[in-house]
Amino acid sequence: MIRVILGSLMKNMPFLFGIGFLAPLIKEVLVLWHVSLGVPPLAIGLVIGGTWGAFATWSGRWI
Amino acid sequence: MDMNVSSVTLPEDLSGLSSQDLMRLEKQIADRFMGGLPWGSISWGLGNLAVWLSLWPLTLSGILPLWIAFPIATLNVMLSYLPSHEAQHRIIAQEGDKLFWLNELVGHLSTIPLVVPYDVARLTHLEHHKHTNDPELDPDIGTKAKGPWHSILNSIRNRQPGSKASASYGATLQRLGTPAAQRAGLIALAFQLSYLAILFTLAWTGHAVVAVLIWWLPRHIAQTYIQFYLSWAPHHPGTETGRYRNTRSFRSLVGNIGSMGMQFHIIHHLYPRIPLMRTPAAYWALKPVLEARGCRLDGL
Repeated sequence: MIRVILGSLMKNMPFLFGIGFLAPLIKEVLVLWHVSLGVPPLAIGLVIGGTWGAFATWSGRWI
Repeated sequence: MDMNVSSVTLPEDLSGLSSQDLMRLEKQIADRFMGGLPWGSISWGLGNLAVWLSLWPLTLSGILPLWIAFPIATLNVMLSYLPSHEAQHRIIAQEGDKLFWLNELVGHLSTIPLVVPYDVARLTHLEHHKHTNDPELDPDIGTKAKGPWHSILNSIRNRQPGSKASASYGATLQRLGTPAAQRAGLIALAFQLSYLAILFTLAWTGHAVVAVLIWWLPRHIAQTYIQFYLSWAPHHPGTETGRYRNTRSFRSLVGNIGSMGMQFHIIHHLYPRIPLMRTPAAYWALKPVLEARGCRLDGL
C-alpha cells in the first residue's frame, strides 16, 4: 500500500513541484517586481506552475 | 608516510620490463602516496557544509544580500562531493580504525547540499570503479558525450524526469539487490522527499527566492559541473574498459583547482586510496610507468 502511494507520488512529482514550488516562486517574483496583471499573483503562479508541472509529468521533460 | 620517491630507482628505459615488473614498480611508487590522515579533505568537507548552512540564517534575516550569497552557495554545492568521495573510498579511515567514525561523518554530512545520500553515492561509485565505461553496468555511463558542450547539454537532459540516466542510480541499486542497496534506496527516497518538503515550505512561507538561490539553482549548476569534471572529462570518450585505458589525464583550461584535481583522475582509478590532494604528485612520479603502460596522457 505504501509502495503504491509512494510510487504514485514520485510519478506525479513534477506536477507537485509545479504547484508546491514554482507557483509560490512565480508569485513572489511578480510581487517583488511589482507586476500587476489584474489577477492575484498566486493564481498566475498556480496556472503556470501547475500547467508546466503537468506537462513535465506527461512528457517526462521540463524543457 | 614516506614521500621520498627518489628512493625508487626508475630504469632509463621501461619498455623492456615485463608486466609484472612494471606492476611491482608501479605499486612501489603508489604506496608512497597512501596513508596518513587527509586533514585537508576533512576540514574541506565539514567547513564547506558549515559555510553553506550559515547562508540560511544570514540571507533569511536579510544580513547577507542574495547576490553575494548565491555564488557562495553555488561554490559550496560544487565543493560538497569530493570530501564524501574520499570517505567512500575509506581514505580518511578504514573500517575498524579508531577514526572510522570521522570517515563516516565526513561522508554522510558533506553531500547534504547536493542531496546525494552517502550510502547511494558509495555503492554506485564503487560500481563505477568496477565497471568503468561499461555501457550496461557503469551507473555514470549517461555522462558520456561527444564533447564539452554536448556534455553540458547531456547533463541537463539527464536530469529531466523521464530520462533513463536520471534513473540509473536507482537501477544500479536494484541490480545490486543487497540489503545495503535496498536501505540506500529508501534513504534516497527520504532525502528527496525531505529536500522537496523544505523547498515547498520555504516557498509557501514567502522565501521561494532564497530557496532558489541558496539551494535549487546552485544544486543544478553543481551537478553539471561535477558531472563534467568528475565524470565526462576524465573518461572521455568513454569507450574503453581496461585498467590503463578507461581513464585519462588531461589538461584543463581552468587548471588543477578549477577542475578539482580531476586532471589527474587516472591516478584515482589506478589507486583509489591515494588521497585527492596527493594525486598530482603521484601522477608525476608514476608518469614514466603510465607511459610504458600505454595510458592516455592527453596534454599532461
